[in-house]
Amino acid sequence: MGTLLVIILGAVFVAAALAPWLHRLCGDRTGLVLSAVPLAATGCFAAMIPRVMAGNAVVFHHAWVPSLGINLDFCVDGLSLLFLLLISAIGTFVTWYAAGYLAGKADLGKFYLYLFGFMGSMMGVVSADHLVLLFVFWELTSLTSYLLIGYYHNEPRSRAAALQALLVTGAGGLAMLAGIILLGRMAGTFEISALLRLDPATLVSQPGFPAILILILLGAFTKSAQFPFHFWLPNAMEAPAPVSAYLHSATMVKAGVFLLARLHPLLSASPLWLPIVAPVGAITMLVGALLALGQSDLKKILAYTTVGVLGTLTMLLGLGTELAVKAAMAYLLAHALYKAALFMTSGSIDHETGTRDPEALGGLRRAMPFTAAAALVAALSMAGLPFLLGFVSKEYFYKALLEAEGPGMLWEMLGLAASVVMVALAATAGFKPFWGALKPTPKPAHEAPWLMWLGPLLLGAASLKTGLFPGMVGDCLVGPATSAVLGGAGESVGLKLWHGWTAALALSVVTLLLGAALYGLLPRIRAARGICRVLGRFGPERGFELLLHGLLSFARWQTHLLQNGHLRNYVLTTVLFTVLLVGWMLPGIVSVPAWDTMVAPHVLTVIVCLLIMAGSVFACVSQSRFNAILAMGVVGLGVAMIFFMFSAPDLAMTQVLVETLALVLFVLAFYRLPSFGQYSGRAVRWRDAALAVVFGAVMATVVLVVQSSHAPDNAVSRFMGEHSLESANGRNVVNVILVDFRALDTLGEISVLAIAALGVFAMLRLRPRGARKETKP
Amino acid sequence: MNSVILVTVSRLLTGLLLVFSVFLLLRGHNLPGGGFAGGLVAASAFVLHALANGFPSARRLLGVPPRLLIGFGLAVAILGGVAGMLAGRPFLTGLWDKTPLPVIGKLGTPLLFDAGVYFTVFGVVCLIVFSLGEEGEED
Repeated sequence: MGTLLVIILGAVFVAAALAPWLHRLCGDRTGLVLSAVPLAATGCFAAMIPRVMAGNAVVFHHAWVPSLGINLDFCVDGLSLLFLLLISAIGTFVTWYAAGYLAGKADLGKFYLYLFGFMGSMMGVVSADHLVLLFVFWELTSLTSYLLIGYYHNEPRSRAAALQALLVTGAGGLAMLAGIILLGRMAGTFEISALLRLDPATLVSQPGFPAILILILLGAFTKSAQFPFHFWLPNAMEAPAPVSAYLHSATMVKAGVFLLARLHPLLSASPLWLPIVAPVGAITMLVGALLALGQSDLKKILAYTTVGVLGTLTMLLGLGTELAVKAAMAYLLAHALYKAALFMTSGSIDHETGTRDPEALGGLRRAMPFTAAAALVAALSMAGLPFLLGFVSKEYFYKALLEAEGPGMLWEMLGLAASVVMVALAATAGFKPFWGALKPTPKPAHEAPWLMWLGPLLLGAASLKTGLFPGMVGDCLVGPATSAVLGGAGESVGLKLWHGWTAALALSVVTLLLGAALYGLLPRIRAARGICRVLGRFGPERGFELLLHGLLSFARWQTHLLQNGHLRNYVLTTVLFTVLLVGWMLPGIVSVPAWDTMVAPHVLTVIVCLLIMAGSVFACVSQSRFNAILAMGVVGLGVAMIFFMFSAPDLAMTQVLVETLALVLFVLAFYRLPSFGQYSGRAVRWRDAALAVVFGAVMATVVLVVQSSHAPDNAVSRFMGEHSLESANGRNVVNVILVDFRALDTLGEISVLAIAALGVFAMLRLRPRGARKETKP
Repeated sequence: MNSVILVTVSRLLTGLLLVFSVFLLLRGHNLPGGGFAGGLVAASAFVLHALANGFPSARRLLGVPPRLLIGFGLAVAILGGVAGMLAGRPFLTGLWDKTPLPVIGKLGTPLLFDAGVYFTVFGVVCLIVFSLGEEGEED
């Protein structure tokens, strides 16, 4: 089954790569064709349930870079499986939805490329069993979500939102990478399942652990939009509705929560876990809920409530009791189901009526019956009404809070406040647009195509079914997930709909009543939302903007200083620093061999050296550029001859070829260069000459020192010489090194070459025609 | 540059250089040569043709845009690396067919990788030289 997992992952990425081509072939039906992949994946993941329920994780192992201990390890336990099912199932619905929502868009193929790339990366994040692998997929999700959020790339706001999301999550990702490396070095393994098997107490007591915890938490908090990094998520609502439905319900933003859950057995052993994670989650929960109240755009309302829910999940994981973790898993599932549906229905409303302002909407139920039904079920689940999964998860949420230790009734009160807001906003998002009197809208309202309501309806059905029979989903998904988060501890008891007359039930009833009251007050609260805007000017987003602005100014300043576009300055800087660094190190290691140990050079060598020297002197003093170029050619060919004499035919041949091509390039660029004048005064020329002489002296000394010392490098070259034929089947050691021993370096080098060539191409060819004419000499 | 000598010579040499470049690529594992040198020689064949007959003619002769060559080369090189993975070994591990063939010698995935280097270098040089050359011709 481990192989099956990797095949699914591969299939998703292959589907991504084929999407643009498929779009040319099938047009608007692409989405339907492609959705077969996540649909099949959902089936395969569902087939893994019995095995995972029995406590056997699905594993896959493949050596990737064994010499560094980096492997393609995958492991699907209860937690991974819950996420995988959400990603693939909601991914299917989103693909359908996008087929309707973005029908007719010319670059739909590109959209599916990004969407499936994202889907595959997300599956990778939740199934990776190796910290480095997890990080690779994590960064891939940042990258693909950047492309998805910025899908409307002609809109400056959309681009800005995408960049903001990328910068915030990318910065967090870097912090996380540092944390991962430190953790891996401390524990001696990067394999997650092995890490979690270690005794957490010994790791946690090490002096560096708080730093690791904070770095990893930074990664999780930025990804999951925790306060004060929450601002990118609502801004990302510039994305098309299917993207929001996917990224902000079940996937991207839950990755941070996933990471917290994944590493919970290890990290929660730290005494810092509870005092950091739980309060951050609680603050985010309140901030999200309060800011959501002031919004007058359905999508923004949903975005801020998502921030609130992410805070709730983080808080529950921070509390970390068995009940809290179970509540978090149930809440996560419930939220994914209802929030994806609501994002899609609000997108449909926008698509079919032309507005997303809840005040301007009403009575759409006759025009859009299916959308209305789906939205209603989702909203009821969000509000936490009985017989829906939202109710069950809220019961466990309250139970966990009642059980948690804390000052007075603090947790309960915070949870109650956030839940009350959720009830009011659920009514705004899923009830208000469809009921009451029909209001005129920019576009005459009509039902969306079936592709756009089928997914939300199925999600609503799932909310209803799991809400009516929570025992089953508890046994299959929530239980195994909870036990995975708790590190195998904790029995996987299913969920129950009815707990008797408990305090949690009382809190649920109070929540609904207060929520209904708050819903009545909402228009008045929105009227006062100006205050929010004033406060926003001093919020964390302002801090982010100032930081970004400062960074850009600094970058501009240092670029101007170091990269001023004059090649001669670059050469000067490089040479000067080499001289300083090497010259500083030389006195310690210098032991120039005695004169009499040296061998007199062959007369041919002397002649070639004299030629090279003459060529360089001539190039310096020549008054004609053409002559200077030819003289440089003499120098280059002379060097090639030296290579040849010292039996390095590969180097000599390459040098000759490069010299030839460089000469051609020079000639081609010849007429475009400014006239060959004196660029520098006498003083500058003397300075350059002096530096050149010193550089030459330093390099000559280095060569002598290398000749006389037996550096450990010799062992390396001897190894390569000895093993070239027997283990790499080649007699040409140079080439064997290039394509076998150090092939990864070569791969990097040709990638750099390719990028450099594309850079040249872009600079020369892709300029606007006008600009090209202007630069004519 | 409308030199009769250059045009005549280039007609002979372009093909010869291309054959030579493949020769260099194939023998590279045991004797001086390899993908990098081979790619440079292949590119010089087209540069020579371009200098003699103009850049449009060289582009026609090449048939594909140079930047496609670069992508193709990188893809082939990665394929040469992935082949090892398919056999259950780490990325870029060489796989060999132990029976030597005439001229070429033993065949193995490093040759595929080297071919990737060949095409990348070939494409890079052509792209830069053609871009620069055509830029000049517009004046």
